[in-house]
Amino acid sequence: MNEEPPVALPYRDTKPQGAADFYLAINATFRFILNRLGQEGLRRYWSDMGHRYFAPVSKQWQTHGAAGIAQYWQAFYDAEPGREVSVTRDDREVRLDVKVCPAIAHLRQQKREIVPCFCEHCHFVSEAMAAPAGFTVRVQGGNGSCTQRFLPADAITPPQNLEDITRASLS
Amino acid sequence: MIGCYDFCGHYEWTFAWLEAEGGHNLVRQYWEEGISRDSQQHARELILSQGFAGMRTYWGHTLDHEAAGYAIHANEEVFRIDMHACPSKGFLIRNGLVQYRDYCDHCMGWIGPVMQDAGFVIDHEHNHCGQCWWEIRREESTAGPSEAGRLAGEADVRLHPGWNEQASPHDRYHQATDPDDKCPPQPPSS
Repeated sequence: MNEEPPVALPYRDTKPQGAADFYLAINATFRFILNRLGQEGLRRYWSDMGHRYFAPVSKQWQTHGAAGIAQYWQAFYDAEPGREVSVTRDDREVRLDVKVCPAIAHLRQQKREIVPCFCEHCHFVSEAMAAPAGFTVRVQGGNGSCTQRFLPADAITPPQNLEDITRASLS
Repeated sequence: MIGCYDFCGHYEWTFAWLEAEGGHNLVRQYWEEGISRDSQQHARELILSQGFAGMRTYWGHTLDHEAAGYAIHANEEVFRIDMHACPSKGFLIRNGLVQYRDYCDHCMGWIGPVMQDAGFVIDHEHNHCGQCWWEIRREESTAGPSEAGRLAGEADVRLHPGWNEQASPHDRYHQATDPDDKCPPQPPSS
């Protein structure tokens, strides 16, 4: 437990960063699912993605604990263009301070209508990834900047209040 | 957060998730409404307003940005793309990601509706190994697909190694705009 993980990202590309226009597709995907399957369907999509698509990440977190979580998010944000994020950890907690969310920044730059509940996906996807590893996540803020805390599931902390996650918009 | 670095991975996973939720029609609707009309509205606007010139602007930018190995040849009659190493399918192959039965269908799924609305039809073939070609003509054109090498010379993907991998069946389209409008299976072209 807690030795340094060898590879932080489970799926690797040949280029160091992704193409920002894919944020347009991510936002459009959320809108399509919200329109067709409703809020419950969209939240199920996010949770299923965390449980299934990101299962290799969750497994790394089970093995390496907070060190694995911190290393994953550092590598993740290094590969996202336009981000301004710091990742810190102590023995029990990993904290992401997102000063500039790359997705919200690009959607605004492209003047795209942002799905208002866009920022909720960070909670639902990450919670599904963290739970099998014995962690939970709390998101505070959104709409371009936020803090995300990954805590042991047995930590004495109130459950995520979705009202703490700011609705996203163009402004 | 869901990122853009591994976008093609969770995009492909999403096709399978949608199919499980609502069947094939929901996947088709996603490609047309979610991708063609929403995500790719910038491509749609360029092509509807500028035709072939809009295609060159869109694909020149996008494929450069995705670092693709590709070639574009165009004249007044046809716009042709030869994709030698699709960055999107390549990502999936390298990472062993296969959740949906035919990832390559998504391109016709979103490009087809754009071309239909803009008054074009598509001849297309892909080999499921990251190689494909496209010839886009005005819908009133009666010309068929070009012979290998005639339009694109040595850049024609049909002349490249790996095009006719026997283990990989090809999908073909003729004057199509619908992802399900595939030609009956036949041996790979030479």
